[in-house]
Amino acid sequence: MAQCRVAVTGLGLINPFSGDLENFFSRLLNSESAIRLLTLDDPAGSLSLPALQCQGFNPVDLLGKPLSHTMDRFSQLGAAAAFSAWRDAGFSLDNNAERVDYGLSWGTGVGGVTTFEHGYKNLYRSNQRSASPLTVVLAMNNAAAAHIAIKLGLAGSCLTYSVACASSTAAIGEAFHSIRSGRASLMVVGGSEAPLAYGVLRAWEAMRVLAPGDADTAHAACRPFSKDRAGLVLGEGAGAMVIEEWDHAVTRGAHIYAELAGYGTSCDHTHLVRPNTEGEIKAIQQALAVGNLGADGIDYVNAHATATPEGDVAEITALKAVFGDHAATLPVSSTKSMHGHLLGATGVIEAIITVMALHKGAIPPTAHLDTVDPACEGVHHIIGKPLMDKPLRAALSNSFAFGGVNAVLAFRSA
Amino acid sequence: MDALLIIRQFLSEQYGIAPETITPETPLDKLGIDSLMFFELVFEFEGKLGVRSPKNEEIADLKTIGELIALIDNLRLEKT
Repeated sequence: MAQCRVAVTGLGLINPFSGDLENFFSRLLNSESAIRLLTLDDPAGSLSLPALQCQGFNPVDLLGKPLSHTMDRFSQLGAAAAFSAWRDAGFSLDNNAERVDYGLSWGTGVGGVTTFEHGYKNLYRSNQRSASPLTVVLAMNNAAAAHIAIKLGLAGSCLTYSVACASSTAAIGEAFHSIRSGRASLMVVGGSEAPLAYGVLRAWEAMRVLAPGDADTAHAACRPFSKDRAGLVLGEGAGAMVIEEWDHAVTRGAHIYAELAGYGTSCDHTHLVRPNTEGEIKAIQQALAVGNLGADGIDYVNAHATATPEGDVAEITALKAVFGDHAATLPVSSTKSMHGHLLGATGVIEAIITVMALHKGAIPPTAHLDTVDPACEGVHHIIGKPLMDKPLRAALSNSFAFGGVNAVLAFRSA
Repeated sequence: MDALLIIRQFLSEQYGIAPETITPETPLDKLGIDSLMFFELVFEFEGKLGVRSPKNEEIADLKTIGELIALIDNLRLEKT
């Protein structure tokens, strides 16, 4: 059976720089980091660490009072990003007729955890007799997806994937298959995350994977591939894309940013948190094969690299295994050095960056990479300034999650 | 605090409903108050007035803001 091609026709995000997509991408090209020191004061203690906050995000302005009141922050961020992508794809926010061939595929790691934390504080610390009646509908992991589907009239499949740091990548990939197989004409895809709650940050801190920093050094706290890398930086944000069957996009005169050409996914099935190169190789190879792409046809890899000691090395090892002789000239960067790790939302943010790189012919660098760890050598690290020397043909965006889930997206220039 | 004032404050601050449109005669459905919003209002009364949570049969037939206020006033009397 013939497989449908999939076009990317709308992009939207809510990011800590507070500007629009063009602004976000140009800042990344300039190696600008949005990471700042975050201080949380709670009766249980004070916490200071480098993090990403969307401080300029005003949900009431963007969504209105009634809608934002019934949403956890992860839904607010997600809905704002999805509505932005929807408009970017040429649709209107109002009066959307119901479409059963239009669907939604969303990703989040911790969903409405801030709502739960707030509720627990009220119950256990303030001895409140009952929980807020909105607790369940605010906190449920598919709340963002439900709100977006209601507003946009998406009556087809509406699923939320929770696969830790690969959540939105899996959401995009599974939606890709829905369109490719003819089950859907158009899907709104993406993910959102709002994990900056006291208890969540304490939990991550206890795993000893967070990068340290103070007010002066926080902006450079995340240093993927660097010899002195010291861990990841958590952040909040959201991203969304509109993807659709190619002829559907052409017929309605949509602007096509790129083709979503391939998707690969695998499970390490070896360890909860330790990455496994073999599993990563399988996912990358599958994305290339599905996209009918050769190793010599990839001009950029947006790496998952979070700046942990083991993860970065495993990913470079996997790239060298897949790309062989081409690895040494394969442009690679980890943009987490600037936008941090948004957990379930990080995959879609990086997919958007990958699409923009193809669209603009410009590859953002890895920031703060002064000395490459010898164990991370063997690819063409983009350092200091963007690579803009030639049109890009195709690119990959990698996501490798706790739980051993690997998800890789392949995009082809339109 | 007056029950009508609590209703007006809550619906205005959280849902942007103009306070002057909320009177004892106003039907609940005219204000767009669905079951979730109604339970939020009840939760608000519990927190601000210390009244007990009404039983399902006590709220099943409420149609207007005035009927809700009457119920809340009864719960306040019950408390004293």
